[in-house]
Amino acid sequence: MALLEIKNLSLFIKTGTDNVKALDKISLTLNAGEIKALVGESGSGKSLIVRSIIGALPDAWSVKADRITYDGQDLLNMSRDQRRQIMRRDIAVVFQEPTSALDPSVRISSQIQESIPDEFIDKGFFWRRIQQRRQISISLMHKVGIKDHMRYLDSYPHELPPAISQKLMIAMALASEPKILITDDSTRGMESTTKTQILRLLTKLNKTKNLAILFVSHDLLAVTNMAKTVTVLYCGQTVESGKVKSLMRKPLHPYTKALLDSAPSFQVSLPPKSSLIALKGTIPTLQHLPIGCRLGPRCPNAKKECVVTPIPRKIQDHQYSCHFPLHFPHVKGPDKEVHL
Amino acid sequence: MQRFNHYQEEYYPSPLMHVWIEFRRSHIALVGFVVLSVFIFIALFGDLIAPFDPNLQNTNAILLPPSWEANGTIVHVFGTDSLGRDVFSRILHACQVTFGVSILIVIIAAGIGVGLGVLAGLLSGLRSSVINHLFDSIMSVPTLLIAIIIVAILGTGLFNAMLAITLALIPQFVHQTRTFVKTELQKDYVILDKLDGASPMRIFFNSILPGMAELIVVQATLAISIAIIDISALGFLNLGATTGMTELGQMLSQSLDVAYVSPWLVALPGLFIFLMVFSVNVVGEGLRSALRNRLKL
Amino acid sequence: MLKTSFRYLNLLFFTLLILLTFSFFLPYLFPGDLVTNMSGITPASEQQRDALERALKLDQSIAQQFKLYVENIYLGDWGVSTTTNTSIFSEVTEVLPATLELVFYALIIAIFIGIPIGIIAGLKHHNILDFTTVSFSIAAYSFPVFWLAMIFITVFCLQLGWLPTSGRIDLLYDIPTVSGFIMIDIALSDVDYKSQAYQNAISHMVLPTLSVAIITMALFIRFVRRSMMDVMSKEYIVAAKSRGFSSAQIVFKHGIKNALIPILPILALQVSTLITNVMIVETVFAWPGIGKWLIESIYQRDYPAIRIGMLIVSVLVLVMTISTEFLTRLLDPARENVEHATV
Repeated sequence: MALLEIKNLSLFIKTGTDNVKALDKISLTLNAGEIKALVGESGSGKSLIVRSIIGALPDAWSVKADRITYDGQDLLNMSRDQRRQIMRRDIAVVFQEPTSALDPSVRISSQIQESIPDEFIDKGFFWRRIQQRRQISISLMHKVGIKDHMRYLDSYPHELPPAISQKLMIAMALASEPKILITDDSTRGMESTTKTQILRLLTKLNKTKNLAILFVSHDLLAVTNMAKTVTVLYCGQTVESGKVKSLMRKPLHPYTKALLDSAPSFQVSLPPKSSLIALKGTIPTLQHLPIGCRLGPRCPNAKKECVVTPIPRKIQDHQYSCHFPLHFPHVKGPDKEVHL
Repeated sequence: MQRFNHYQEEYYPSPLMHVWIEFRRSHIALVGFVVLSVFIFIALFGDLIAPFDPNLQNTNAILLPPSWEANGTIVHVFGTDSLGRDVFSRILHACQVTFGVSILIVIIAAGIGVGLGVLAGLLSGLRSSVINHLFDSIMSVPTLLIAIIIVAILGTGLFNAMLAITLALIPQFVHQTRTFVKTELQKDYVILDKLDGASPMRIFFNSILPGMAELIVVQATLAISIAIIDISALGFLNLGATTGMTELGQMLSQSLDVAYVSPWLVALPGLFIFLMVFSVNVVGEGLRSALRNRLKL
Repeated sequence: MLKTSFRYLNLLFFTLLILLTFSFFLPYLFPGDLVTNMSGITPASEQQRDALERALKLDQSIAQQFKLYVENIYLGDWGVSTTTNTSIFSEVTEVLPATLELVFYALIIAIFIGIPIGIIAGLKHHNILDFTTVSFSIAAYSFPVFWLAMIFITVFCLQLGWLPTSGRIDLLYDIPTVSGFIMIDIALSDVDYKSQAYQNAISHMVLPTLSVAIITMALFIRFVRRSMMDVMSKEYIVAAKSRGFSSAQIVFKHGIKNALIPILPILALQVSTLITNVMIVETVFAWPGIGKWLIESIYQRDYPAIRIGMLIVSVLVLVMTISTEFLTRLLDPARENVEHATV
């Protein structure tokens, strides 16, 4: 049962005169209790997808989608208040930069207490409620592995190390006991011990609370241990998605293959002094997106047909968007459907 | 292997071009730019367009209303003042004085201020901290007040007013430049230069100065608008330009006595000061947001 | 906290000392003869000169003179004006409240109208309301304050005849000076035409206050709007939205505080601009404040008065700036660790 479903999400960013299509028909489903990874390099639009789900969009952005549903409720066609309620109780987000996602002028204790929904507090006199909030926030901090809560409760965000801030962000996200946790590249630039701690914490939460996690990351290898399914993004287009295992064993899209190849540990037979495998060129900027398949100019297999956007095709659970998928030499034209 | 390229070449404008492209987007900024160009033209060639000598007194035509009023004449487009002088010619001349002087002041102040600021930025330790603290406290005092103090010491007159405003404007440039140089010096690309063995002078001219030019231009537009207001304010308070000279603020203060009979003598010089400051502010604001947008992308 | 206060007191002390030193040496910088400048009398003979020098204590050492000067400033013996021959101290205490009154009302208008408008414009930027606000604010802060004041006089006083052009109150109303603040004085006085006196005082006050307030308000709007726009696009605001907080909660708890803290020092700087503008407006409206008084003394070359006037105005500006800076430091947790106090 799909808890969160996104179908053909496009996001337009207005830059001066032209409207850039930053996300191009992204589809994504997240089932209850599942860990799904969303992988792409920086600039591939991962954070844009997260922002579209939250609904906190700057004025210059506009979203068009066939549907974005949470538990069957359409997020796009509901009142702002209803959507706010869903964000308040059911979906929680952990952001990329923990230090900038905390309000610099408010103490930690007050920020955690603010994220505890009123429903969790018994009716009572105000001092009783204050005490309860305090207790809940301390137990939340313990839950994410902050032992010496007294040291941090009265601090301001700029006084905290990033690892603690990130744990606090997770604590605040868990405060409302959500069904879905979205982590937006939360482990980027972290020390590997902290990273492991946080990944372990997330896995544990998934197991014990049946929490569905959308794990957004730039690092394909980091997610392989954790996630069951993965979606790969490139420049705002879905490149390939499916079970982690089948995707790693047999990538169908040249980009996925390049991503896997770029990690040297995966190449068993790399002769000494040979150059590392990488795609030529760099990721295009938003202003200079190529038409059709956006990997086109960098793709080793690109042909004339690639200037048309490929239709997503499916083999069992494995979906890909490429005119000339790897491992299927018999597929020629872009118009033929593949039946296997 | 592909034989030909299916895709367009990417085009990246140069930084200066990019600023212009961003600047052009805002219509208000463009209008401001045009108005500013007109003022620059007046500052350069104002005397050539002026139909009369600004100090020529025509006793037959005293306090004539401007030409768009029923009893105005086309000969005196903006009418005449209480001494029968042609207001249009006087305004052209006064714009020349006010605007020209302001730009001159800012160029001098920027030259000295940037020099001192670079010095303070490059030298660390006590010297720089002393300069910094001194200028920080002067910064909080408005330029006009400093200018009034200096004029009180030196005595009134346009030259003294110019000197006063120049001195009052310098701290801002010193402060801006110093902060900029300080922050740039900490950046990695400068450290890279140092590792390559570049001398401080070379680091400054090759790495820091190119990035600083824009900052100085933006700061200068701000300073010009302050200078225009200050020069005309001193003129208005009879502390700046003396009676012999024609200056917009001074024209305003003279018109106060006849404001009831001929309100256009109040309206016109002030309008020109306003337009001048407005166009400079709008262009400055446009430049600032253009730079901001360029850095954002 | 205690340390911060100490630092600021320290800064205040040294700034005051610098200003005192500067104003002490000011007569030496003035053009012309020192004795003439200080006393207003051109000595006819050597004897008279010596007598004057003794009277002004100019025969003593510089250090001694400075000590005396500081003492006299502290004791309220500020010397005698060379043009009116009255005590400068009594003149200043008469004109300063009038200026402060104007500054106070203009500031109230700028704060209570400018900041909310700035916040609203920053929240709803890039629509027609915001566009009008921005255009108004750019236009308004491009206005030379003296022109705005003159337009007000021409339109409201001369053409329409609604409001008086000059002064604080008609001479008809005999209000005894107690505090120097006209509104308080009227309240304290026991005249039986209080309401008329209030009306009259307010009608005198409207135009000068407005001409200063409009420009300061425009600057406030501009800074607040920019800062609010920056803050509302910050990640912690997005984070707050993702937690489903209500808009009011986000704006009031996380938006406004963070938007105002960084610009408080800038707003404080505007206060000093405000004081200069008040000085100019005073001369236009013949408002008996310190600005008019100081500029008159510059015309008259009344050097003892100029010296004190400069000192008072710059102390006023600096005390305001330093105290706002201090307030900012207290409110802004991220700046607690900044080592030195600066103006």
